[in-house]
Amino acid sequence: MGVPLEQEWKKGSAEMLILALIEDQPRHGYEIGKLIERRSGGCLRFHVASLYPLLYRLENRGWIQGRWVEKASQRRRRYYRLTPSGQKVLAQQRRSWQEFVEAVSRVTGLENA
Amino acid sequence: MPDWKKELRKRLRGLKIAPEREAEIIDEMTGHLEDRYQELIADGVEPGDAYKSAIEELSYTDLVEELPKVVPVNHGPAIPIGAASSASLFEDLWRDVRYAGRMLRKSPGFTVVAVLTLALGIGANTAVFTILNTFLFNPVPVVDAASLAAINTTQSKASKEQTVLRPVSFLNLRNYQNQSHVFSSLAGYSELLSLTMQDGSESQRVFGQLVTENYFDTLGLKPALGRFFTPDEDATPGARPVAVIGYSAWRIRFGGAADILGKSIELNNHPFVIVGVVQKGFKGITAIFGPDMWIPSMMAAELLPPPQQKALEDRAVLAFTGVGRLKPGGSLPQAQADLRAIAAALENEYPSANEGQTVTLQPLAEAALGTQGPGLKIGSMMLMAVVGLVLLLACSNVANLLLARASARRQEIAVRMALGAGRRRLVRQLLTESVMLGFLGGICGFFAGFAGCQVLWSFKPAEYPANFADLRLNWNVFVFSLIISIVTGLIFGILPALRTSRTPVAETLKEDARTAGRSLRRIGLANALLAGQVAVSLTLLVVSALFLRSVEYQYTIDPGFQTKHLAAFMLYPGQQGYDRQRIEQYFKEVRERLDRLPGVSSASWASNLPFWAQAQSGVTIEGQEQRKKSEAISTVVNTIELGFFETMNIPLLEGRTFTEDDRAEAEPVVIVNDNMAARYWPNQNAIGQRIQLPNEKSFRRIVGIVKTTDYGSLGEPPQACVYLPFRQKYTDSMVLYVKTQGEPEQMFSTLQSELRNIDAALLIEDVRTGNKLIAQALWGTKIGVSLLGVFGLLALGLASVGLYGLLAYNVNQRRREIGVRMAMGAGQARVLQLIIREGMTLVIGGVCIGLVMSLALGRMISRFLYGVSSYDAVSLVGATAVLLVVSAVACYLPARNASRVDPIIALRQS
Repeated sequence: MGVPLEQEWKKGSAEMLILALIEDQPRHGYEIGKLIERRSGGCLRFHVASLYPLLYRLENRGWIQGRWVEKASQRRRRYYRLTPSGQKVLAQQRRSWQEFVEAVSRVTGLENA
Repeated sequence: MPDWKKELRKRLRGLKIAPEREAEIIDEMTGHLEDRYQELIADGVEPGDAYKSAIEELSYTDLVEELPKVVPVNHGPAIPIGAASSASLFEDLWRDVRYAGRMLRKSPGFTVVAVLTLALGIGANTAVFTILNTFLFNPVPVVDAASLAAINTTQSKASKEQTVLRPVSFLNLRNYQNQSHVFSSLAGYSELLSLTMQDGSESQRVFGQLVTENYFDTLGLKPALGRFFTPDEDATPGARPVAVIGYSAWRIRFGGAADILGKSIELNNHPFVIVGVVQKGFKGITAIFGPDMWIPSMMAAELLPPPQQKALEDRAVLAFTGVGRLKPGGSLPQAQADLRAIAAALENEYPSANEGQTVTLQPLAEAALGTQGPGLKIGSMMLMAVVGLVLLLACSNVANLLLARASARRQEIAVRMALGAGRRRLVRQLLTESVMLGFLGGICGFFAGFAGCQVLWSFKPAEYPANFADLRLNWNVFVFSLIISIVTGLIFGILPALRTSRTPVAETLKEDARTAGRSLRRIGLANALLAGQVAVSLTLLVVSALFLRSVEYQYTIDPGFQTKHLAAFMLYPGQQGYDRQRIEQYFKEVRERLDRLPGVSSASWASNLPFWAQAQSGVTIEGQEQRKKSEAISTVVNTIELGFFETMNIPLLEGRTFTEDDRAEAEPVVIVNDNMAARYWPNQNAIGQRIQLPNEKSFRRIVGIVKTTDYGSLGEPPQACVYLPFRQKYTDSMVLYVKTQGEPEQMFSTLQSELRNIDAALLIEDVRTGNKLIAQALWGTKIGVSLLGVFGLLALGLASVGLYGLLAYNVNQRRREIGVRMAMGAGQARVLQLIIREGMTLVIGGVCIGLVMSLALGRMISRFLYGVSSYDAVSLVGATAVLLVVSAVACYLPARNASRVDPIIALRQS
């Protein structure tokens, strides 16, 4: 039963992770996946099949925007950047996540640990 | 390197993602997989394992489950990969349009020339289409004209070609109204009646029509002012003298008077009260010339000419054409069958009037054109074909401009292709530009065309502005212009676009922009277009020349009577209330006094005006009664006074002319023309034979044979004609013919004052010379031919501009080459010769093709030409010469420029 639960968790938080990663600078899909994996110490991993549908979903909602960029001697890549409405959503999600974590901590007594 | 795209495509297949988006997704994911793969390899993983590991990322179900939820998918049929999805189509289109607008703004010279060229072509088409739309497609501006049928009397046994449509008798029309079940409403209208209107002290000529009370309702019309007729206004003969006038008549003849309703006027000396004004735009159900006013049919005795005055009670008097609105779902053949059954019953019941007769129905739109229909149709179709060719010329000119521009844009195109623009995308972009050009040309052309049309229509005879149909500018014309603009844009754009999009990227990018020239193939296409242009314009010139010569010849056609010293006056004493005795006296006095007038050779009266006569059928030959009415003998009937043949110079071939002794009480006599004599009494003497005219009880003896002349139109095939002596066939409206010794114009004032001396009250309104009669008979033809001439010249202009443009462009492209030649010692004359030879080779090629086309087309149109062979040398040589001269000038100008190239400057540029 552990796997589905983990997937749920991931889904819930994944959107926020992506928004947060491109907050400061536009990044392409592979870079986003790589950063999530690295910063979570390998704990969180997105593969192609889950990352891109998620990116497109965020793009549909107007929270992020993708743009093809060609750099010298490189394959063209699609870079995603945060839109103003994405910024608002990220701020909001950060707050509610914060509240949620605090609430969970208070209930489970993790905060004292 | 692994083929990620193939793998991805395999997995995405069946998700129905919009193709363009799918291509992007594949591109993006390929990048991801490749990155992952390279990373693993860098970490020392075996390529096989790295591949497996990367591809495994695709195996999660999210891809198939989630992707279709978040990207646009196709619900319709699959579009091939590379085509745009409908979602992005509009976006792309908008982008293309903006880009096209920028490109056109960037080269205003090119844009202006292209738009003007197209405006000429589209304008010419709009003008001709406006005429077609008014007279052929939409001749009667009434509600649902398609469900209206015109009903005429015809002979039961006449073949289709022999069929003469005649009106229906009033009583028969009543029977059709009461007994037929196929019409929701059935009305009748008379022919156009020429009436004298007295409004206060002023008299003027107006045109009226007798109509049954339900006429306006049948047509679905509404009054602009007042009302139409009520049933009781059309119930008792002569009881209710009321009139409904036309909108134009109200504006023009009555100055738009606000108190028009209730106004009293006199028509043919009978008082009438105006009760209504019909809606704007309606001028009767004749296509070109319509009435000023409508009067209830019960006023027939007051307004119809004497022979028809018993129209309401005599079944033999055919005075009304029926117009019926078919019930919903009804068809013309059904209706005709229904009416023919009634006609057969009427034939049994009233054999003396109806024997051998039946009815024929035709769509009202066709009936509205009347006898002019076929000529108008053929003429318009020919004009349409001609302007179609003019438009093609304009297209090929613009295509050439685009080709020239394309080589200037090779660099731009190559850059865009290098940046990943697909060929399809490029073609679309280029086509957007040309459609936009077409569109701009269409807007200008639409207005130019309508203005041109108005100018053209202003050449119509000026006498009766209220009666000529107005040109109708409606949605049909607009949609037509819009469609040809777009089609035009596609036509002239497609070849250059395809050609341009085949630009080889690498080579072009390496080319120096300055040296970029046209490849031989591109030059070849432009040359072919140009030779085609020359050929088409030569053909148009030859055709115009042929028609011009034909009209010129028509002016010299001998109508069979003299026209040089002829003056014709239209006088209608009967319409001013004179009785028979006074009219007879008047006709006699005028003839005798004018005969004595210095400068006048002779004067006479006749009921027919030249070129306006219509054949009547129903003549019976004694001893051949069985042919009777079912097999019509149709002849022109003209009632004449003494001295007519002398005045008109019509030779008497046999027998005698009419004399004072041919009175009412003497033996009825008739004179026939030699065409009739030869046709009905071949190998016998027609003199002494007897014939019976329709509506006459007794037979008339033929006492003379005269030469056949033209009666209905100039240069017509010979028709039979019978002349009746005025003393035996009374009519109250005749045309006065005067043969003058000198120029007829110089006698006008003398003649008019003499007429006023005889009777000052009579209105003399229409005076024509013989030459004017001829000119009027040729009016329609002349307009058609002038148009043809204008279009021919337009074509010539377009072709020479095209030729000039192409050569000028070539010269400019070849400055360096020319510079080299000159540096090597070629003189100015040599360069001049080189360029001119190049241009004229093309022209001569075009001329050869054009001559062949002209000969072929000439054969097709030969039956519309009078007195000119379709191989007419004057037309062929003349047109060719004009074309060659104009082309030579168009070649000379760029050649002269070329010869002035300064070799030093030209070489330094490279």
